[in-house]
Amino acid sequence: MFDFLNPDNLMNFFVAAILAGTPLLFGTLGEILTEKSGNLNLGVQGMMFMGALGGFAGAYYYEQMAAQPVAVISVLIAVICAFLTAAFGAFLYSVLTISMRANQNVTGLALTIFGTGFANFFGEAISFAAGGYAAVSSETKTIFNTGIPGLADIPIIGKILFSYNFLVYFAILTAIILAWFLNRSRAGLNLRAVGESPATADAAGINVTRYKYLATVIGGGICGLGGLYIVMNSSNGVGGVWTFNLISYQGWIAVALVIFATWSPARALWGSLIFGALSVMRLYIPLGIPAQIYDMFPYIATIAVIIGVSMRRRRENHPPDSLGIAYFREER
Amino acid sequence: MKKLFAILLCIALCFATAALAACGGDTGDGGDASGLTKDNIKIGFVHITDPSDMGYTYNHDLGTQKMAQNIGLSDSQIINKFNIPEGSECETAVRELVEAGCNIIVATSFGHADYMLTVAAEYPDIVFAHATGYHARFMGLDNYHNYFVDIFEARYLAGIAAGLKTETNKLGYVAAFPFAEVISGYTSFYLGAKSVNPDVTMEVMYANSWHDPATEAQVAQALIDRGADVISQHSDSTAPATTAEANGVWHVGYNADMIPAAPNASLVSARADWSIYLTMLVQDVLDGKDIPADWSEGLAANAVFLSPLNDAIVADGTAAAIDAAKAQIIGGFHVFSGHLKDNDGNNAKITTFEGDLIYEFTGPDSYFIESNEFSAPDFNPIIEGIFVMD
Repeated sequence: MFDFLNPDNLMNFFVAAILAGTPLLFGTLGEILTEKSGNLNLGVQGMMFMGALGGFAGAYYYEQMAAQPVAVISVLIAVICAFLTAAFGAFLYSVLTISMRANQNVTGLALTIFGTGFANFFGEAISFAAGGYAAVSSETKTIFNTGIPGLADIPIIGKILFSYNFLVYFAILTAIILAWFLNRSRAGLNLRAVGESPATADAAGINVTRYKYLATVIGGGICGLGGLYIVMNSSNGVGGVWTFNLISYQGWIAVALVIFATWSPARALWGSLIFGALSVMRLYIPLGIPAQIYDMFPYIATIAVIIGVSMRRRRENHPPDSLGIAYFREER
Repeated sequence: MKKLFAILLCIALCFATAALAACGGDTGDGGDASGLTKDNIKIGFVHITDPSDMGYTYNHDLGTQKMAQNIGLSDSQIINKFNIPEGSECETAVRELVEAGCNIIVATSFGHADYMLTVAAEYPDIVFAHATGYHARFMGLDNYHNYFVDIFEARYLAGIAAGLKTETNKLGYVAAFPFAEVISGYTSFYLGAKSVNPDVTMEVMYANSWHDPATEAQVAQALIDRGADVISQHSDSTAPATTAEANGVWHVGYNADMIPAAPNASLVSARADWSIYLTMLVQDVLDGKDIPADWSEGLAANAVFLSPLNDAIVADGTAAAIDAAKAQIIGGFHVFSGHLKDNDGNNAKITTFEGDLIYEFTGPDSYFIESNEFSAPDFNPIIEGIFVMD
């Protein structure tokens, strides 16, 4: 019955893997940018929740209030609100860890708990006010769930390359821009210097605090887009209807994926595809093994990469040197 | 400065203790079943999530509210413990309810059973009721009861809507876990669809969670990718409904009317009305009557029902077919009847968890009355036409 090697099934598997990998890619890219500044923000899950709520609430209230809501504007508001809400979460984290030098691990975990509660609390309030289910308009749902008009209808190639919603392409574009930024731009190199050795960067005249704040806040905003994806996409999320606890594990996978990608946006690109594929593999390629084993694959892969990286001892593959350590100028 | 802080802390702690003691009330030794009236009875609930799940807990809490209305209880007589996991936190929650003076304590999730049993044995005067569990039948505790609803009857009716609507003759089912409650549910759904569409088949995939929206969506998408054009579910969220809608196929829901979430896909939902049992339970305790160790009722008692049909998209004749089947079931038709076979053509066999035979479908006259003697569902064979991928 399950002839899983037929080309249609494999194509569906590939598409499902890309769709499942995209929220992970957003989370990973945001966290890479954050960690490159030396801040280990474990609050990815919380920021995704906040982004999901912000994006959903923005689009929902715009549609409720506007006399003639336009779907494109609704989508734009959703993207901006998701980014800003999650960036606000990252800003709280930054104030605590950069200005007040609180422990980064504890603050990150607290942000996860805060973001989860924040989103579920306000999401519930919106749903109850709507009388049960709060949903965005079907035009908005459609934009988050359809491919490029025209091109998506080409047989095979259209499905493989052009059938994704705009956030997928946006995520890939973000990865490319981030790779260029970190490797080719002066600001990116400065940021890496801050992450490796803030004291040295400080001595070289780089404003450490500003770089740390900007990287963490923008990184948080990018994580929030992953949350937006989950609240709006229907193949890998809740399709524009607010749902309690809608993000179950994606934020944590993204943290693992940062290590898997060894802090490189380019590797995050195919890393998230692999992790996305692993998360839907049991549905398309049943190997007759328990689902729990499939669920372990991403973590086993991460452990394997950590072992591999530490055995090869290449400096580029190591985490930023000051990762997790607060910077005291007076302690130089 | 430090001294001042210490004194302030002491004062704050004293106040907190006093406040807690006041909350606990004066019945610290637990409630007493005698001398109860509807004005002083207290009922505690332990829920695995909270009503914002818009699924099982939401629906069960609606039952609580309706029961309170039926009997005339005030809000202060109901104590809800939400978001209690199926672990030792459950025992703590149940003990807190005992401390708060509850006369009846209800837990609603399968995994709460063991923790509730421990406490139930210590407080014979308090009435305990547990949904979906199976312990009451052999634990021999007079104050411990199991209940469920014959949701399979409602699913059978919902299956009719699916069977009439499908064009590919292929249904998809997002299931939570591979055990009898879920298998009984999807088999009844399939049998309902098959009763009006003999060519229909169904594929089942497990999300391995009661509530994991992204995974539920992935499972629904995979089923649709395989050609299913009506998706149903035994899981909490509306993710399968929105996935069906985005793919232009249809959906049959569970626990809540899902039409507002997916107006172009949701045909109908199978729901439970928990207030029927809860009202009976509380009234029986007030009247001093014996409470059945196991209780499960269905369409005839209005304990299960269908949410309104989505008239704009259901197939012609759906309402009439459902009404006819409903009358049949109330008239004594058994959902699990006939010569049911497995996919290899052997007789379908219902077995216990240990593999002991409960019932075998040997011929056209065979029938199994689900949730009859015991409330928790027993039906667990995979029958012909259903393909499970695990």
